[in-house]
Amino acid sequence: MSWRRYFRRHPKDEELVKEIDLYLAEEIDENVAQGVDADEAKRRSYLKFGNPTRVREELWKMNSIAPLETFLRNARFAWRTLLRNPGYAVLAIVTLGLGIGANTAIFTVINGVLLQPLPYAQANQIVHVDQIAAKLGPDPIGLSVAEVGDLRGQSHVFSEFAEYHSMTFTLLGGKEPERVVTGVVSNNYFIMLGVKPLLGRLLIPADEVMTAPPVLVLSYAYWMKQFNGDRTIVGRTFEMNDRVHTVVGVLPPLPDYPDANDVYMPTTSCPFRSDPAMIANRDGRMLTGYARLKPGVTLAQADIDLGEVIQRMALSYPKSYPVSAGLAPQATGVEQELTHAARPTFLVLLGASGLVLLLACANLANIALSRQMQRSRELAIRMATGASQWNLFSQLLTESMMIALAGGILGIGIAAVGSKLLIDYAAHMTTLAAGIRLDGRVLLFGLGISLLAGLLFGVLPGYVASRIRLTSLSDAGERSTGSGSGTRMRNALVTAQVSISFVLLICAGLMLHSLYNLLSVDPGFKTGNVLSMHVSLNWTKYQKSDASRNFFHQTLDRVQALPGVQAAALSMAVPLNNDMGPMNAGVLIEGQPVRADEPLPQINFAIASPDYFRVLGIPLLAGRSFSTSDSASAPFVAIVNDRMARHYWPHESPLGHRVAVGSKDKKTWASVVGVTSDVRQYGLDKEPADTIYFAADQSGMNNGALLVRTKGDPLRMTNQVAAIIHEIDPQQPITDVRTLEQLRGAQLGTPRVTSMLLGLFASVALFITIVGVSGTLALSVARQSKEIGIRLALGATKRNILSNALTRGMLPVLIGLGLGAVAAAFATRVLARMLFEVKPDDPGTFIAIALLFLGVALIGCIIPARRAARVDPMIALRTE
Amino acid sequence: MTKPKRENNEMLRGTLDMMVLRTLVTGDAHGHTIAKVIERSSEDVLEVEQGSLYPALHRLEDRGWVSCYWGNSENNRKAKFYHLTAAGKRQLTAETSRWRQMARAIALVMGEVVGETKAEGGQE
Repeated sequence: MSWRRYFRRHPKDEELVKEIDLYLAEEIDENVAQGVDADEAKRRSYLKFGNPTRVREELWKMNSIAPLETFLRNARFAWRTLLRNPGYAVLAIVTLGLGIGANTAIFTVINGVLLQPLPYAQANQIVHVDQIAAKLGPDPIGLSVAEVGDLRGQSHVFSEFAEYHSMTFTLLGGKEPERVVTGVVSNNYFIMLGVKPLLGRLLIPADEVMTAPPVLVLSYAYWMKQFNGDRTIVGRTFEMNDRVHTVVGVLPPLPDYPDANDVYMPTTSCPFRSDPAMIANRDGRMLTGYARLKPGVTLAQADIDLGEVIQRMALSYPKSYPVSAGLAPQATGVEQELTHAARPTFLVLLGASGLVLLLACANLANIALSRQMQRSRELAIRMATGASQWNLFSQLLTESMMIALAGGILGIGIAAVGSKLLIDYAAHMTTLAAGIRLDGRVLLFGLGISLLAGLLFGVLPGYVASRIRLTSLSDAGERSTGSGSGTRMRNALVTAQVSISFVLLICAGLMLHSLYNLLSVDPGFKTGNVLSMHVSLNWTKYQKSDASRNFFHQTLDRVQALPGVQAAALSMAVPLNNDMGPMNAGVLIEGQPVRADEPLPQINFAIASPDYFRVLGIPLLAGRSFSTSDSASAPFVAIVNDRMARHYWPHESPLGHRVAVGSKDKKTWASVVGVTSDVRQYGLDKEPADTIYFAADQSGMNNGALLVRTKGDPLRMTNQVAAIIHEIDPQQPITDVRTLEQLRGAQLGTPRVTSMLLGLFASVALFITIVGVSGTLALSVARQSKEIGIRLALGATKRNILSNALTRGMLPVLIGLGLGAVAAAFATRVLARMLFEVKPDDPGTFIAIALLFLGVALIGCIIPARRAARVDPMIALRTE
Repeated sequence: MTKPKRENNEMLRGTLDMMVLRTLVTGDAHGHTIAKVIERSSEDVLEVEQGSLYPALHRLEDRGWVSCYWGNSENNRKAKFYHLTAAGKRQLTAETSRWRQMARAIALVMGEVVGETKAEGGQE
């Protein structure tokens, strides 16, 4: 075997022809010279030489690469066969292209999110260390400065332990004042991550000293966005929290994790973190930890070690670790944290699209099988003239491989477009989505599944074809193939298809049911025509609560005076905004006993200005709303929600009772003046919790959310509202401008796209399957027209024929549904966590989908069955 | 002339390469001459089957034992001439000595009978 020889076959052959000609000419000359006459001389020479073509063939074979030869011959033949039948070819290529495209697009996301290594050194060693109060709730409560110090000093499992928290500060010195998300970290944070600076330097121990000049490290994204990648940025100074900060370096591109931080500063620069009171307060848990495990240490070992440290702390400071709270530190792998939201969804989607591709392959195998039956005569002739079974098999396999590869190329094209849409969708679930791109691995995957698909739908028909008997050359043989192994295989294929698509339909049905439940959830407030924005005051400027109250009063008054504005209100958080978790606090109720050894019952608390309930359309069930007279100097008032009222005052009205949040020692009583209905504040899928509202003027507030109910399109009011705020304070940044409808849409976005994609896959699956069911029956009816004719002639009624055909068509469907129901009962468990108010084995969904399937399959079967009943016995018997 | 018997043919095949190389020692030649020379020098006992000569030449060329060029034959026809290369000469020496050993060994085993059978097979 040699490629050089292979490509020189043609010139070599030409040379050989010349050589042979020469030989013959010389031989003839010689014979003539011996006195033989010309014709005889020629005859003898040819006789002596033998068959020139054979010699040429021999040389040609010597220079050929046999498998390649066979492949090229097969490919040429397949090309011709497909050209003769372009309809089939196009159908097959498009079907496969869509299937492969869907799979490749989803794999692109999986590749980018789950398979790509994180840009940290040995990312699998990096863990997030936090603390949970196991008996109070699942949300992490954070670590205090003292706890970080203890964990860093006393644990043995970490090679680096870094401290982290994120805050928003106002940055002055750029084009305009800006709110920047700031990661406040210990100096070893970047060393722990194993990240090298792109420009300048990262933090060093000398930066984290109270007397050190404040420094900033910029994130790559912020540097590109705000400074267009200006390489002279190092050394520039900005003003933050009334101090001058110098930029010392720029980070390389990193995922927005733990938060989408614009800049990083050492812990000593953060005015809250470096406050001596905060440092001394073991209960001030505002921090979290990131650490690198020593090589070979597992998460379980880390948890044990952390547990021991916290036990020692609990012994030394029992007041900070009440037994009833169940405080426990926990370490979670950073990789797991980054991908846990996207992983199940995309694996389910990949599974679904994989099944659709499998179905498409089954259908193509089915079509190919029926083509094989039509071609059985051709194949038998080829066998009779010396083709081996392997020849036929490889020939047909080549044909399906060519289709599959063409489908694969189309599919990768589709994936390139489709994955762009998927990336936006994935961005809701993981910050790694920004790094998703079509790379070599994706191409390899596309190619791989194309080949796999080609094998899948080529092997079966190839196998059937290679077992063709020479008897099929006779008429009797051809007829018998109709009821032979081909038909059995086709029925088995259909059964498998039905069960697979039933599973898919059930999954899609459950997701749609869940989406419907989510859509019909009443959040408890009216989302239409409300504009929201965050107005976080610069804390150094508004240190006195009078100043901030003044600012908010002016803002509310002037916004309310705008034409087109119905009402404006102030609160601490915007409902349905996912950025902020629930604000919890322990609650005390006057007159109700408090158990000394138990923590206070937790409630959500919120802050609202007088018009808050009017702006959001939350009905007041009893009492009154806040009013302007509820000022800082007036008696403190509170409003509770319906749930809380029923919970704590089951037999009486809560009005007039006094409540307080905080601790037993530090509390301010407020009397309940009103009861409102319940609101899903933190997510459509989250049950409303017991909630207390406090009056805005009576609770100092620096970070506020402005809510404006408008007459027309809320977004059109944005500029006017912003202008008012800037008139009051030109340096005041405005962030997160969103309508409540947008926030609600964002909540629904992920489940909506998931159910849409699953629904799409399932309907394609149903369509493919019905085509298979109907096509199989149609073919078998067509093959048996003679038999049907005989039976009609012998007295069978049309009803008999119809019901017989229907039974034959529906039997594989029924078996498939049975198998599919069993498979679905297992498969849907994967979905359990993505479903809202639907159980994965919801019998209603199962029955509804089964009925739908049966109905559609019946329609698919009736068409060919009626054709069977319409067979004219005279024609059927005569035509053969 | 009829084709040589099968046994002869097989023997020839194994040694054809060697004989072709040997022929070329006396000078460059084209295919026809090579075949003729082998037949003549074997007193027409061996007949070179063309079906194996040309593939053999091709093989030798491929291995670099002969080189070739286009020239004019004695009768002034365009002919492909083969030329023994240095590598070919070395190969020939090696093959020849191996062949001698083999022939001697066979002769020792067969004794007197060898000459008779050989004469029988080739003559017609």
